[in-house]
Amino acid sequence: MIVLDKVDKVFPGTTIPAVNQVSFQVDEGNICVFVGPSGCGKTTILRMINRLVEPSGGDIYIKGKKVSDKGVNPDELRREIGYVIQQIGLMPHRTVEQNVSLVPYLLKWPEDKIKPRVKYLLEMVGLDPEEVSRKYPYQLSGGMMQRVGVARALAADPPIMLMDEPFGAVDPIVRGRLQEEFLRLQKEMKKTICFVTHDINEAIKMGDHIVIMNEGKLVQHGTPMEILSEPADGFVKDLVGTDREIKLLELTKSKEIVKRTDDIPSEVWEKDSFILAIDPVQRALETMMKKDTNIVGVRDETETIGTISWNDIKKLINKISGDQ
Amino acid sequence: MVFFSAILQWFTNFYDKNLGFIAFIIRRWEQVVEYTYNHFTLVITVMFFSLILWISVGLLISRYEKLANTAFGIGNILFVIPSISLFGIFITIPMLGLGRTSAALALILYAMMPMVRNVYRGIKSVEWPVIEAGRGMGMSAKQILFQIQIPIAWPIIFAGIRVTVVMITGIATVATFIGERNLGRFIHHGIARESADMIIAGAVIVSVIAILLDYILGKIEYKITSPGLKRE
Amino acid sequence: MDRFISTLVDRSPPHALEHLQLVLIPVVIAFVIAFTVAVLLTRQRFVKYTDRVMTIFNMGQTIPPLAVIAVFFPFLGLGREPALFALTIYALLPIARNTLTGLKCVPGEVKEAARGMGMSEWEMLFRVEIPLSMPVVMAGVKISVVLTSGTAALGALVGGGGMGAVIFAGIDFFRPELIVAGTLIIAAIAIILDRILTVIDNLLTPPHMKT
Ligand SMILES: Nc1ncnc2c1ncn2[C@@H]1O[C@H](COP(=O)(O)OP(=O)(O)OP(=O)(O)O)[C@@H](O)[C@H]1O
Ligand SMILES: [Mg+2]
Repeated sequence: MIVLDKVDKVFPGTTIPAVNQVSFQVDEGNICVFVGPSGCGKTTILRMINRLVEPSGGDIYIKGKKVSDKGVNPDELRREIGYVIQQIGLMPHRTVEQNVSLVPYLLKWPEDKIKPRVKYLLEMVGLDPEEVSRKYPYQLSGGMMQRVGVARALAADPPIMLMDEPFGAVDPIVRGRLQEEFLRLQKEMKKTICFVTHDINEAIKMGDHIVIMNEGKLVQHGTPMEILSEPADGFVKDLVGTDREIKLLELTKSKEIVKRTDDIPSEVWEKDSFILAIDPVQRALETMMKKDTNIVGVRDETETIGTISWNDIKKLINKISGDQ
Repeated sequence: MVFFSAILQWFTNFYDKNLGFIAFIIRRWEQVVEYTYNHFTLVITVMFFSLILWISVGLLISRYEKLANTAFGIGNILFVIPSISLFGIFITIPMLGLGRTSAALALILYAMMPMVRNVYRGIKSVEWPVIEAGRGMGMSAKQILFQIQIPIAWPIIFAGIRVTVVMITGIATVATFIGERNLGRFIHHGIARESADMIIAGAVIVSVIAILLDYILGKIEYKITSPGLKRE
Repeated sequence: MDRFISTLVDRSPPHALEHLQLVLIPVVIAFVIAFTVAVLLTRQRFVKYTDRVMTIFNMGQTIPPLAVIAVFFPFLGLGREPALFALTIYALLPIARNTLTGLKCVPGEVKEAARGMGMSEWEMLFRVEIPLSMPVVMAGVKISVVLTSGTAALGALVGGGGMGAVIFAGIDFFRPELIVAGTLIIAAIAIILDRILTVIDNLLTPPHMKT
């Protein structure tokens, strides 16, 4: 869906490239998360995708079409791509409602379609439309502004979203809620999303695919599991943190390591130690401790499908700890 | 000491003659109306052209940064030329001579500095993330100018307009020396005839016009400024 | 052209000197008065009047410069002193306004911190408030100099002399070279004074506030 091919960016007046030979691909309906330290070029990549800046070298394709083609009008391209900017950038002279309805107006949607859309979006990002619609940005808290920014980018239901630290200014509890709400919606929306964050945990939670950047270069990309289990070098290992085992337990679904069998030990029945197939492996570990056992049963919606034992978990952890 | 006695004397005299200028206005009512009309129309004409010209120039230099320094340089030089000189220079230009065109042109030049500077400042006061967001959502350069930059810059541009109106109303009095028949003439002739009533009448009417215009513009400004920009 | 140059040379020196006085004396007196008034008005005891005084200052700016020059003349008569008096009044407003704004805008936390360090009212005024408001005050003085220099040209109307006399002669007798010569001198005086003030400003502004 979105393809970058050896993309470079050297800003005028600078010598060190902000983005250096970056190639990757974001598949349709996926969330691709960019992680890396400040100044590593994450924002610049997003701005090149919607042509707010032009690359110095390389090509960018959206749906197989080169964005730099003469036939592509940058303004029209951008109306098809939702953009949540890092600094939020709400229009100070417009109400929340007017801010959110900006792109629908640009696209000349009929009035009666815009109002309900704004209401729906505000509710979606956890704001009360009654309360905030008529407010001006200065009357909102930083976290509220950021949520309005997300609603604004989603307004015209663009198939592609570029989100630059969209939940950076909200508190951890609300952030967790927004992340889950967003993932739930994404199941229906199936948008193609480029998502920037500083927070590796957010990246692991949100990403179908993670791109790790450092000093303008792409260091590693892959699924969260790949990043956690096989960090390419010391930089990625540091970024992922010392608790990557725990993260792996959180990230891996029980069904991925379940031993499929009909032969459920009686201990499981006696202690009623069952977990669901979609629970993270961490839940298996918790259940073992709570019930003082070393094996749990795994169920999907209707039936028991197998077991996870203490040894199975150890094997999973050894897979990434072995190389330490 | 000179100053102290001067102030005292001025106050007693002012008290004595306080009603004098009102009597003067009533006595010379027709002339007052004529001069006020001329004064007012001159100010309106000047403001009309200044708005068109200087707002355009302000917008231009906020886009082409290199022109800004030149424009401010010219504006600063115009500003250190005394009003009487500027009027004087215009009447010596053969095509123009004594009269309204010279007066209006000189005043339009005077309006340059406060107007252009405030338009520039206003446009520059728009924070870049707002522009970035506008661009990122696919607004064209024209839409960004008219829907973002100008509305956000309005309070500052308007402040410039108000300062200019007050200034032009005051300086227009000096045009009496190049033949304008406006309220400055009361002051001019008042000096010649040593008539405090005449001088005060001229000064008071001019000030009232300036305050009135400023007040009306203030109301308009309040009406058209987005509440989002009137943060407490 | 010859005539222009000879006018410039013959007429300038005495009139220029007069003009310089017509600018400098009023601005200096106005500075002392305006500064004192503004400092007093920002003291605790009078602070409640500042807004009202500000309104009066703003109203004062609507009085046309020509009127300020003319209005004292019937009472004080012709001459240099009346012209100086009128120009002083005219020079007051921009300085007072800016000084008041400057002093009012010194952040409360800074004053609080200074008080916390045990500074007395006086020390705080001279070591915190005045230095911090200096850039705004100096901006006011500069505006005042330019405006007074222009208005001083009108001083000739009430017998104040100065370059204005040359310009008025040029207008009355339709001699462009006189107008231009007078204008150049006045502009030069204003620009030179402005430059000098910029230098003073740089010396007085605390280093961290420079842009
Ligand atoms: N318009 C510009 N002109 C010059 N240099 C720029 C410009 N924009 C970005 N840069 C430089 O490019 C590099 C990458 O910047 P970028 O904004 O993409 O970083 P980032 O990864 O988004 O950082 P952060 O996490 O702090 O937002 C930085 O070194 C920055 O200084
Ligand atoms: Mg960034």
